[in-house]
Amino acid sequence: MLRSPEWHMMIVWYFFLGGIAGGAYFTAAIADNFGGKKDRDVIRIGYFLSLLLVVLCGILLILDLGVPTRFLNMMGFFTFWNPMSIGAWMLGVFGLFAFVSSALSLWGSDSMVRFRRIWSLIGTITGFFLASYTGVLLSNSAQPFWSDARVMGALFLASGASTGMAAISLLMYLSGEAAGEGFEKVKRADRFAMIFELLVLALFLALLGSAAAPLTTGHMAPLFWVGLVIVGLVVPLVLDLVGAGLKVPAVVPAVLVLIGGFIMRYVIIMANA
Amino acid sequence: MTTNLIDIQNSDVIMCTNNMAENHPVGFQWVMKAKERGAKVIHVDPRFTRTSAVADIHVPLRSGTNIAFFGGLMSYAIQNNLYFKDYVVHYTNASFLIDPGFKTATDGGGLFTGLEQTGKGGADPHIAQTYNKSSWKYQVDGDGNPKRDNTLRDPSCVFQLLKRHYSRYTPEMVERVCGIPKAKFVEVAKLYCGNSGPDKTGTITYALNLTQHTNGVQNIRALCMLQILLGNIGRPGGGVTALRGHANVQGATDLELLYHELPGYMAMPLRDVHPDLKTYLEKETPKGGFWVNKPKFFVSLLKAFYGDKATKDNEFGYQWLPKRASADAYSHQHMFVDMYKGRIKGFLADGQNPAVGGPNAKLARAAMQRLDWMVVKDIFITETADVWKTPGTDPKDVKTEVFFLPAAPAAEKDGSLTNTMRLIQWHEKAVNPPGDVTSDAEFFVSLAKRLQKLYAGSKKERDKGFLATSWTYGDNPKEPSMELVLKEVNGFATEEIKDKDGKVVYKKDQALNTFVHMTDDGKTAGGCWIYTGVIVEGPDGKLINKANSRKPADDKDYLGHGWGFSWPANRRIIYNRASADLAGKPWSEKKKLIWWDPAADGATPDKKGKWVGLDVPDFNAFLAPDAKNGDKPFIMRADLVGAFFGPLNDGPFPEHYEPMESPTRNLLSKQQNNPVVKVWQVPDKKNELAPLGSKDYPYVITTYRLTEHHLSGVMSRYLPMLAELHYSHFAEISHELAKEIGLDNGDRITVMTPRGKIHTKAMVTHRLKPFKIDGKTVHQIGVPWHWGWKGVDALPGSKGDITNDLSATVADPTVYIQETKAFMCNVKKGEV
Amino acid sequence: MARTLAMFTDTSLCIGCRACQVACKQWNELPLEQPEWTGSYQNHAHFTDKTYRLVRFVEKPKENGELAWLLMSDVCKHCAQAGCLEACPTGAIYRTEYGTVNINQDVCNGCRYCVSSCPFGVVAFNHDTGRANKCTFCNDRIHNNLGPACAKTCPTDSIQFGYRDELAAKAEKRVAKLKEMGHKDAQLYGVDTNGPLGGLNAFFLLLDRPSTYNLPEKPLLPQRNVLADSLLSVGSALLVGVGAVMAFRERGGKGGGHA
Repeated sequence: MLRSPEWHMMIVWYFFLGGIAGGAYFTAAIADNFGGKKDRDVIRIGYFLSLLLVVLCGILLILDLGVPTRFLNMMGFFTFWNPMSIGAWMLGVFGLFAFVSSALSLWGSDSMVRFRRIWSLIGTITGFFLASYTGVLLSNSAQPFWSDARVMGALFLASGASTGMAAISLLMYLSGEAAGEGFEKVKRADRFAMIFELLVLALFLALLGSAAAPLTTGHMAPLFWVGLVIVGLVVPLVLDLVGAGLKVPAVVPAVLVLIGGFIMRYVIIMANA
Repeated sequence: MTTNLIDIQNSDVIMCTNNMAENHPVGFQWVMKAKERGAKVIHVDPRFTRTSAVADIHVPLRSGTNIAFFGGLMSYAIQNNLYFKDYVVHYTNASFLIDPGFKTATDGGGLFTGLEQTGKGGADPHIAQTYNKSSWKYQVDGDGNPKRDNTLRDPSCVFQLLKRHYSRYTPEMVERVCGIPKAKFVEVAKLYCGNSGPDKTGTITYALNLTQHTNGVQNIRALCMLQILLGNIGRPGGGVTALRGHANVQGATDLELLYHELPGYMAMPLRDVHPDLKTYLEKETPKGGFWVNKPKFFVSLLKAFYGDKATKDNEFGYQWLPKRASADAYSHQHMFVDMYKGRIKGFLADGQNPAVGGPNAKLARAAMQRLDWMVVKDIFITETADVWKTPGTDPKDVKTEVFFLPAAPAAEKDGSLTNTMRLIQWHEKAVNPPGDVTSDAEFFVSLAKRLQKLYAGSKKERDKGFLATSWTYGDNPKEPSMELVLKEVNGFATEEIKDKDGKVVYKKDQALNTFVHMTDDGKTAGGCWIYTGVIVEGPDGKLINKANSRKPADDKDYLGHGWGFSWPANRRIIYNRASADLAGKPWSEKKKLIWWDPAADGATPDKKGKWVGLDVPDFNAFLAPDAKNGDKPFIMRADLVGAFFGPLNDGPFPEHYEPMESPTRNLLSKQQNNPVVKVWQVPDKKNELAPLGSKDYPYVITTYRLTEHHLSGVMSRYLPMLAELHYSHFAEISHELAKEIGLDNGDRITVMTPRGKIHTKAMVTHRLKPFKIDGKTVHQIGVPWHWGWKGVDALPGSKGDITNDLSATVADPTVYIQETKAFMCNVKKGEV
Repeated sequence: MARTLAMFTDTSLCIGCRACQVACKQWNELPLEQPEWTGSYQNHAHFTDKTYRLVRFVEKPKENGELAWLLMSDVCKHCAQAGCLEACPTGAIYRTEYGTVNINQDVCNGCRYCVSSCPFGVVAFNHDTGRANKCTFCNDRIHNNLGPACAKTCPTDSIQFGYRDELAAKAEKRVAKLKEMGHKDAQLYGVDTNGPLGGLNAFFLLLDRPSTYNLPEKPLLPQRNVLADSLLSVGSALLVGVGAVMAFRERGGKGGGHA
């Protein structure tokens, strides 16, 4: 007989937005280090988006606490192998990386750019961490199917990538920067992330076996199969690959991926509500 | 109980006929300890309860058939030679010859010889017929002593009559009547009866499972008879384990908060039978046994009541004592029927909640609503205090003026509690009661003094007694000293007492050491002779309260004589002479308790010989086993022996009769019910009984208590920590019956009887199973009775319907106790 | 570290009286709580933030047609390897010098990770105070030479308190004796310090297999997979990173553009 931690919508949003934050950041950092001039918008939007979201994430986490004013108590303690503990710290460290990267993306000088690139490359570690650690946090609890899901962290990371990239492309579209090489590259990266995410999801289900029932056949099943798998991954992937011929606006797949990413966090967390 | 809870660990087999683990959890630790030593535990109960969970065998028995069960065991023991022959021959009246005119119920179609119609009473069998007991007596020799046959073969001897009487109680009959599968009954009979004799003993526990029946007294008699048949009384691990259902109900009966007796178990005088003290003492004092001393106890009691005003010249105030107009009156049920009929105008309910706790509670509430006034003294405002606004009653229709006086619970006052093993334990006040709260003692002493003031100038005869009562318990005008009350209960010398050599034995007002020192000449006072010895005076005159001593039991004194005081005289196991044989040696080394030591110092320096051992002898310590009556352990009986043949109102042997509401005809005889059962005729159809075979009321119902609640719930339903232990009121129903009715576990249901109906929650469980009675399926349900409409507002489950609305106003013919353990009901799905 | 203390709950002696539940509530001054309908006498399906000792009632029909009613006073196991303690990010959950596990109410910030990480579902979140609660092993009493309130009140000594090594020896003797008496399914749960979770400091003697009492047959430390799961995440990160690099890589020379 187990007991639910009663993590509800605030944590669902945190997982979702934290995944985007981490994914957007490491996408921006990789674009910064391996991309070109035309990727400037990707980079700037990625950094700023991650900074904005990490602040929101911090607020969400603090508000979800039973005694919010005591969030500082987590800062008086550190356990290396405890995802919750490192997570609390890493949120701040990531925020620092996101802040500096964002600030430095406003400057133009070469030395600033070089510093920024090195800083951000190092920072990708915190971005990967932020996107994935919440999955490891869940899989190292004692909850049904969470505790059996060895690739939960890997899955969240893949989803962080796909949703982070989708968010960047959505923002680019909305700010009128959709036409351009950066846009195409981030969409290309997103395509790869979506395929990878589908594969990791398949592996996730396979490893869980019958333990996956709460997601695949329980009351979450419709949302899981329709919302996440079909609408959130298969359809945008198909649209992305063949959508140009169908005159589907380029932003539609991005929106669907974001919806899918939200649904993923929702079904996983709320299945153990 | 005749024995001691601690002693239960010495039993080889324990038969719990009540739900001991649930209702006496602390005492039950000794059953668990007996188990550790290899004892087997049998639990006889219609329900599988928490006692059954830890028992070795559970014996399901239809409620109301205990005599059939005990009779079956006695018959089995006799047929299979499992009885303790020497004990039975010498320590009981088994060998005594009975008047040849007497016939048992086997030959009387369920009745004993002598049932006569009185021509009165009509519908009340208790008044319409009665037993002429002229043939229920011993055959006596020229000296007036009972004739005996120690071979137990004479057809007129009690033993043969017993055998004849219970010859119908075969294992097959037990199966048909009780619903106990024959193989299981035989298994239990072998186990229980087999664990008897010189080196084995067994004890039987009971509580209200046996008492609350129209055959209540005979239920208990049957248990006692089984125990003397097997030679268990007065021996370690034996005895009758009567489990009282309240922390101080033993104290309540010792000091006779009962209508028919005075403190120390002496009869409350009957106006027409005992017109004066001399007649009372003549009629009430037997010719043999320890009760020959009754005059000393009775006169001392009168001295305690009336102090110096009780003298030889005024029969020690005997004429002031209230007398009963009739023996068939004044019990709880009598009182509420009279109250309903308008014969009682005022009522004081002190720590009692009849609106919930008494039988036919709807009638009780209606009765209280007809009073002019009522005083309720309790620790919470109870349903009784609020009877004027019972749900469904418009207060405007009730003219009863109710006064509520808050009462102090145990922690807020000094006093004693006497528990089921006759152990008197003192408790000291831990905190002062708040505000207007008063203890019962404070209230009654203050009330008495005020009334005495009120009646001060009265010349009426009936007021003289009350004005003469003495209420001096110390200097505090507000609070009586409870230790002085205890001293009065204990007894003291009213004047200086000298022995025959002129030596002062007691100074004036000195506490008595033993009831043996009580006199019938007014020189001693004593409120309850069995308590004498609980408080003594040290050489400096200071009171030593033995009820307050706390020396734990140890290896040398396993019965713990240094902890509290156990009446009488700190004896822990009574009738303990029976633990030794005729020569005064223990029946076995394993079961030794007391024995005769011929080398010990005797009563006087020139004599030798004394009873010694592990307990205070319940016997004259210096009476040698070979002296006259030195071999007779049952000192409280006139003939000093245990009684198989005991002439009670409804028969000298217990006979199975069906409860007043029953699912079957009596299979043992043509006599359906107790021939002298008390049935009240109550106006307005408030006491209808379901006829035999009624299709409207097809299920047997039993009512009972749970560990977590106490009686009518006043001590538990107002306390969140206790009230939350059960979700709500419920009824336990078997899966089989639930299937028939279409119930799921948790459904709301209605339980109804001809007296009323309640709504409650069904708890469907495997722990109740239907019975096969005479081949037919009979369902039984169980309903705890702790709930009423008051409780903790924040815990809706602490409030519930009153189970006692279902029970009837019928009674056992000897003590008028109700039959709440076995009657008939119907169950319907939903709240009808 | 002082000598380890333990509670040994021998369910063969339990009469289901609930004195332990009440003593615990009374000593810890726990507030009023609505009971739950469980279909039996059990007043909560599981521990709550206001019920630290809970008596379980399990009706189990036996093969021979008889009935067993298993009675068990359940409590926090004070595991030698405690999932709740490993999960706590504030250090509020700590182990005393006696080996017992306690939640410091002054430090807990109510993140509920401990609630999710107990293999027995013991730790509960108190919505009124915003903090996590569980049995404290009567922390104040054991620091004043007293035993837990539940052990003190139990009328049949079903709950025993003492030094762990002594109680464990007693438990081994007891289970052997019960088997001799015919209780063939009698077994110890949590005694073995080489067993699951390093042994439980509140261990049990059961009369049936653990799952009958809703206990996990083989409880595991939830945090045992942190390394494996983290490595898998790293692997995922590498693959994602490679993919992203390939998507953004400029053909011929890298990172040439200005920001």
